Amino acid sequence: MSKIVVLGAGIAGHVAASHLRRKLSKEHEVVVVSPNGNYQWIPSNIWVGIGRMKPKDILFPLAPLYAKKHIDYKQAKAVSFHPEGDSEEIKPYIMAEYVAGNEKGTQEKVTYDYLINATGPKLNFEATEGLSPGKNKAHSVCTYTHAQEAWIALEGLIKQMKEGKKVKILIGTGHAKSTCQGAAFEYILNVEQELRRHKVRDMAEITWISNEYHLGDFGMDGMLMSYGSNIMKSNEMVEMIFEDRGIKWILEAGVNKVEDGVAHYETLDGEYKKESYDFAMLIPSFSGHGFKAYDKTGDDITDKLFRGFMIVDADYTPKPYEEWSVQDWPETYQNPSYSNIFAPGIAFAPPHSISKPRKSKNGTDITPAPPRTGMPSGITAKLVADNIIEMIKHSNQELHHKGSMGNMGAACIASAGFGMTTGSGVSITTYPIVPDYNKYPDTHGRKLGKTFGTIGLAGHWLKLALHYAFIYKAKMKPFWWLIPE
Amino acid sequence: MTRRISKYKRFTMMNPIIQFFKFIYLSIKVLIVVAGGHGGTRSA
Repeated sequence: MSKIVVLGAGIAGHVAASHLRRKLSKEHEVVVVSPNGNYQWIPSNIWVGIGRMKPKDILFPLAPLYAKKHIDYKQAKAVSFHPEGDSEEIKPYIMAEYVAGNEKGTQEKVTYDYLINATGPKLNFEATEGLSPGKNKAHSVCTYTHAQEAWIALEGLIKQMKEGKKVKILIGTGHAKSTCQGAAFEYILNVEQELRRHKVRDMAEITWISNEYHLGDFGMDGMLMSYGSNIMKSNEMVEMIFEDRGIKWILEAGVNKVEDGVAHYETLDGEYKKESYDFAMLIPSFSGHGFKAYDKTGDDITDKLFRGFMIVDADYTPKPYEEWSVQDWPETYQNPSYSNIFAPGIAFAPPHSISKPRKSKNGTDITPAPPRTGMPSGITAKLVADNIIEMIKHSNQELHHKGSMGNMGAACIASAGFGMTTGSGVSITTYPIVPDYNKYPDTHGRKLGKTFGTIGLAGHWLKLALHYAFIYKAKMKPFWWLIPE
Repeated sequence: MTRRISKYKRFTMMNPIIQFFKFIYLSIKVLIVVAGGHGGTRSA
């Protein structure tokens, strides 16, 4: 009998737990430790942020589902890692602290045979002075509560616009090293469409602010893609959309301070500038959770497990951009020091960024961090679960399931406006996620047929279909496993 | 110079009948890219 502990119940954690439970017999224990009582389908947060969906449409409580599916659930947060146990406990364990219920505040040693760290990112608002959801007129759509707050503020602003007030809206990244430009891109287009729906578009100046070097970089160094019968760069596509929607843009901007209605930023040229706004949605930087790890004797071994995020089978040797390769990226997400610990999704430490790193004249890194959200999170979580299942069933230490982001496709179905007949979506697929310049030297490191973009109503329908399909899958309803990650 | 979306292009982007077929095509294409397999890079 084995006990598998999954930390986190986001996309990666929930996918791993559900596959483990389906494929392992009941004699094996699957335990989920997560401080969040709800599962949320994060890609739909942007629709909560424009008031077209309610939080209840994108979430469901985890406890009843896990009870029904025989998954042990502890609503607790991980405090520290003890991969060798300690003087009293011979098994490896996680120190977890309950965050709800009668046991709130109490700590428990949760032992394991295998550990999946799917804790995702810490939303590091503190890294940008003054940036906090709901403060200084700046908002976030990173969680459904943030998105709901953003909508309340935006709704109030729309009311003022209807009364004749002209406003400035600023949407983009809130730190020099933020990632998730895709979410901000979706939000700015949805906000723009909602203003048109409310017939107040002419009352707003909408501006995109980003740490990208080019529009459409998305933390992936941009893309060369098929667009209909043309071949187009992602920056040309996004420029075309922004021009069409009358959205201005500020690039190469590392936002470093937010005051009431003012975002201060540094540019790659080393200039310090500011942009005023009446409503802002700025994505914070992501960081690790700052977990500590200890060995059997109680000595600090955090460096063996973490470098911000969790250390896995990546090549972390520092090297210049010109020497980066897809081989640097992890394949199995296994920690090299402890073979029973894995970190899929956003929880693993990337070897470096995907976009070319750039420093300002003042030495500030202004480079998008690599995205690992959504589909890559689900795919890496499933392959980690499959490897653990093989290790348990066949006592096999060799990992057969591999999935490097340098050999994996992803789709970004970005909503560009809500509405069954008036909506729009920007559908982009990329293969591979991390460009392989050796394999595809003439097409910016990617396979053209599989890297394509298209704009239109069908994109909105597809995003909506994925919303319902993935919530169905997450609820583990009949044949849920037939829906791919 | 930035490309612009033409009137004809906008018509095709928002026409529900054209977009219905596009939806079917897109769903299959996305499935092929995403579920079309993944693997390592080091043994290749």
